[in-house]
Amino acid sequence: MSDKVLEMYNLNKVYGEGDTKVHALQDVSITVNKGEFLLIVGSSGSGKSTLLNMIGLLDRPTSGKILIDGTNTTTLNDGKISSFRNHKLGFIFQFFNLLADLTVLENVMLPRQIQGTNASASKDAKELLKIVGLEDQMYKQANKISGGQAQRAAIARGLVNHPTIVLADEPTGNLDSVSAQKIVQLMKSMAKKLGQTFIVVTHDRHQFGDVDRVITIKDGRAFEGQESTRLEAVA
Amino acid sequence: MLFNKRGSLVGAVLAVTIGILVIHVNFVIFQGLFDAIVRDLTDYRFGNLQITDEEDYIDKSDQSLVNWFERIPYVEAATPRLSSTASINITKFGERIEETRVPIVGVDPLRDIRASTVHNTIAEGQFVYSRNSIVLGSNVAQDLGGAKVGDSVKLKIVDRYGQEQLKRFIVTGIAKSPGGQGFDYSVVVHIDTLRDLMDRDGYTGSIMVKLNDPTKATEVKDLFLRTFPNEDFIAETIEEAAEEQLAGFRSGIAMINMIGYFGMMSSAFAIVTIQMMLVNGKTKEIGIMRAIGAKRRDILIIFLFQGIIIGAIGATVGTAAGLGYTIYAKETKMSFNNSLPLEVSIQWDKVIQTALISFSLAIIASLYPSYRATKLFPVEAMRNV
Repeated sequence: MSDKVLEMYNLNKVYGEGDTKVHALQDVSITVNKGEFLLIVGSSGSGKSTLLNMIGLLDRPTSGKILIDGTNTTTLNDGKISSFRNHKLGFIFQFFNLLADLTVLENVMLPRQIQGTNASASKDAKELLKIVGLEDQMYKQANKISGGQAQRAAIARGLVNHPTIVLADEPTGNLDSVSAQKIVQLMKSMAKKLGQTFIVVTHDRHQFGDVDRVITIKDGRAFEGQESTRLEAVA
Repeated sequence: MLFNKRGSLVGAVLAVTIGILVIHVNFVIFQGLFDAIVRDLTDYRFGNLQITDEEDYIDKSDQSLVNWFERIPYVEAATPRLSSTASINITKFGERIEETRVPIVGVDPLRDIRASTVHNTIAEGQFVYSRNSIVLGSNVAQDLGGAKVGDSVKLKIVDRYGQEQLKRFIVTGIAKSPGGQGFDYSVVVHIDTLRDLMDRDGYTGSIMVKLNDPTKATEVKDLFLRTFPNEDFIAETIEEAAEEQLAGFRSGIAMINMIGYFGMMSSAFAIVTIQMMLVNGKTKEIGIMRAIGAKRRDILIIFLFQGIIIGAIGATVGTAAGLGYTIYAKETKMSFNNSLPLEVSIQWDKVIQTALISFSLAIIASLYPSYRATKLFPVEAMRNV
């Protein structure tokens, strides 16, 4: 079995038409291997979040191909995309995006409940909450915990469905520096412990220290490392 | 999970509840009023079945017809009636007061009290008991300068040959019915006296038949018409006999019911609005749910389920409140305009129909907002914070 968990070929995303046309992504081709901790960096408006939305199947590319675990996702219909997101992807958002009315535990269980695997959901969610250090907070309402705790809960939620890839969009962007460091360490340790692939979008590359790979997005184009080499299409 | 807008949900439930309650209140008041009028017309004037003749008067013996009816097990009693109009005058304190074209009803006092409840409307004195006693309707008594029991009045009537006939009567009673459906605008005398005055010996205007089971009216009517095929009898159930009086009411009730159902439609629009508000207020949550894998169908189910909950609670509370009001109206013998006691009944088929319609409307009203919720794209929904 191939180690490639993500393959993107000639990905383009164009917003608007005519004079207002904006090329958010231009011919982006990236391959990510299993267990990699990949950083996508770039300045504000460079297209890094657009790229993450494409990988997360939250938005559709104008052209190009995205393969996750060997499946061409660009041909899937909406229902299958939802199911694919639920089974293969985990999300960590800048603003945590926990459902405020639910408890921390219920939030973490949610992806599994959507899958319909309720029986083991609670056990797995509790285990993950223990790992991220929220054992004593799990029955609190999600809007009653701190930002750092909320992001830890979001990490647990992102991992509970044993996804192929965890996508994190500016996970430290809404945290103070101490909490941000804790979150970075937590993600890295989870990646190591579980062999989990992480794709993290950030504007603050230094916060993450050593990582497996860095991709820079500039004006919608992807470069390996810090703007050194333009990534070309593999296929 | 998307249910935390309790205020909005309570509003939606209240909309359904109030819609149902309005229909129940309308039903209690207007159907109760209609049924009360039917009841009074039945009790005072027509009976459950009224027999008349195409030739204005029945010339067959009233005794034999009454006996024929009273042999039928469904018939409680039957009584003859005769009607005309008369002028009536009274002299009070040397002044002569006259009222013309006063309806006059001739009754058989012994039979009438079994087939009709007119005798119960006697507010003062007593019912007709002798050939020269007269009961004045309260309005007639008032028009005659406040005639009282014991007063003497003179009646002038034109007989079948066009001759004026005069007779003096002693007022034995004043009739005043709740709601005025009785003989408040008429006078009541002994039927034989009226026959004499009209020179219609042996004639009867109508036979009023009271049934112990009103649902058998058509059956008794058909039996009667089959038994007397060669006579010119007209047999009518209360609905047929009182059609003229009831027709206006019927359309009025239909209109009121329509207003009730419009109210229900308004509730449905309220639910659409509230559900739309909930969808708009929950855009981010819908986006998050969609992002972590919820399908459009899952979102649809959540909002439809919300509609079902709104419909179920609203229909239950509304029906309970409506039934509570109905029972209250029944137990307190609620009356219209403080006079006519309403005929309040619980019609379970209508209660269930109203609840089911409301419940269904709540679900239907949730369809569009639910559909709108499914159309949100996760990335746009989450951006819309």
